[in-house]
Amino acid sequence: MKKYIGLTTTVPIEVLFAAGDIPVDINNIFINDQDASKRVEEAELAGYPRNVCGWIKGLYATVLQKEKIKKVIAVTQGDCSNTHALMETWQLKGIEIIPFDFPYNRDPDLLKMQIDKLITHFNTTWKKVLETKNELDKIRSLVHEIDRLTWETNQVSGFHNHLYQVSCSDFNHNPQTFKTQAQSFIEKAKAQQPYPNDEIRLGFIGVPPIISNLYEYLEKKDARVIFNEVQRQFSMPNKTDDIIEQYRLYTYPYDVFARIEDIQQEIKRRNIHGIIHYAQSFCFRQIEDLIFRQKLNVPILTLEGDKPGPLDARSTMRIDSFLEMLR
Amino acid sequence: MKCGIDLGSRYVKIVCIQDKTVAFTQKYSTIEFYRHYGKLINHELNIDFGKLGLPAEVSPQNITSTGYGRNTLKIHDANMISELKAHTLGACFQTGLTDFTLLDLGGQDSKVIKVRQGKMVDFQTNDKCAASSGRFLENMAHVLDVDLTELSQHYEHPVDISTTCAIFAESELIGKVIEGHPLDQLCAGVNYSIIKRIKPMLQSLMSPILVFTGGVAKNQAIQTLLKQELAIEELIIPPHPQYNGAIGCCFSVDS
Repeated sequence: MKKYIGLTTTVPIEVLFAAGDIPVDINNIFINDQDASKRVEEAELAGYPRNVCGWIKGLYATVLQKEKIKKVIAVTQGDCSNTHALMETWQLKGIEIIPFDFPYNRDPDLLKMQIDKLITHFNTTWKKVLETKNELDKIRSLVHEIDRLTWETNQVSGFHNHLYQVSCSDFNHNPQTFKTQAQSFIEKAKAQQPYPNDEIRLGFIGVPPIISNLYEYLEKKDARVIFNEVQRQFSMPNKTDDIIEQYRLYTYPYDVFARIEDIQQEIKRRNIHGIIHYAQSFCFRQIEDLIFRQKLNVPILTLEGDKPGPLDARSTMRIDSFLEMLR
Repeated sequence: MKCGIDLGSRYVKIVCIQDKTVAFTQKYSTIEFYRHYGKLINHELNIDFGKLGLPAEVSPQNITSTGYGRNTLKIHDANMISELKAHTLGACFQTGLTDFTLLDLGGQDSKVIKVRQGKMVDFQTNDKCAASSGRFLENMAHVLDVDLTELSQHYEHPVDISTTCAIFAESELIGKVIEGHPLDQLCAGVNYSIIKRIKPMLQSLMSPILVFTGGVAKNQAIQTLLKQELAIEELIIPPHPQYNGAIGCCFSVDS
């Protein structure tokens, strides 16, 4: 019987599909939950401190609410150190944890060893994993096309760009259904009128936003996100036949400088006017803001989100001013 | 005659400009303003302009508003501009300068705006915390049982206030009172805590000239500390620091 395996962030899901199991990116379940803010409250009631990232709290309560998820792959290096305590509090509730590390220095041997461990744990083979990668790469190519239709032909909204790319972390639990949806979306997008030439072209860097209406609000103000940095990384934009290399080229879990190189290239290629750097309240990535500000040569707005919900008045005011500045 | 309204968190400020001169200024406590002069009809703020006693030449079409409530409160028939734009325009008009850094410390807001050739080129604002604002100073003055004028006199030998939270800072200050620190050093500590919070924002957007606006700009101790702590050539307090946003509204092209 297929098992649902929770993920705290993107991992080599080829292994899970090859094993016949179903990866579930808990982030996506949490943020699409009508009662997402209730999940955060549940975690706080359980004892999670007020000054801890809303995503971590949401993940905690989401897994406990979803009876199907009994096992979670938790990324212990390359994501967020709060994950360590998250794992432990899940363990306390009887959830089985499989730790996974992205080696900080991108060491291919260490990364191979991590994938080997997953393969052994899920009782599959390298051959099946590579076959699965080939299949998933075909679907990823469709998502790359959606990205191109966002920035090159300007026919896709910032939100849909975000949605299709962010979904590549688990292909919405069913790659074939996702593939059909992506194909149909591309067909419709190609028939769309392009967005106007005088719109503001924005890049969104940092973790996906906990804010529900950001993309929609920006587009109401004639600004569109044409580059979602981390979400794009989930779609494995750097094509390679070697799965180890694929997860080495994937920038998100490693040092900020590789991310900056990727962002700089895309700023140039996509003609980006300004960057929104999103950082979660209480997240260590807020420190990295100072590096982005030194290294990126475009105006940057740093936006902070705490709990799930629409933009607050203060963030709206800051966005309005930023757009006025770019105009 | 142009009229600008700055719907602040602490005060609502109204300015009228005639022939590039400030002809009328008035401020109301925000709560008093909404209670006595404003009414929400169809998600728009309808203001009883007659009751406000504005100059007769002002009509709603000549009014431009800005301020904290602007995203939730559109004044019926009036134009709106963003706060940062209003403050940039106000500071350019009041100083006659085009290149400077603007520091605006209001009721809840701390804004730092880098202005070049009369336009905002970069900015930082406080986001989730308002512990570097006028409201903080008011609360601390209340704890020390002094008025804002007295509080703003002292900057020497500040006691260290280390708490991050503005509310917890109150109990920390009470602790310092119990320890027997003299009043002038307690006041200096309060003023210095504002400098500590805004200095990182200022340093990244610095210019040789710093223009200081908002209600907190009247605080002489903070003025002195800014000159001491930052490598600036000149600190300018415009004639109407608290009305800067409302003045800027009158100079928006939309107004």
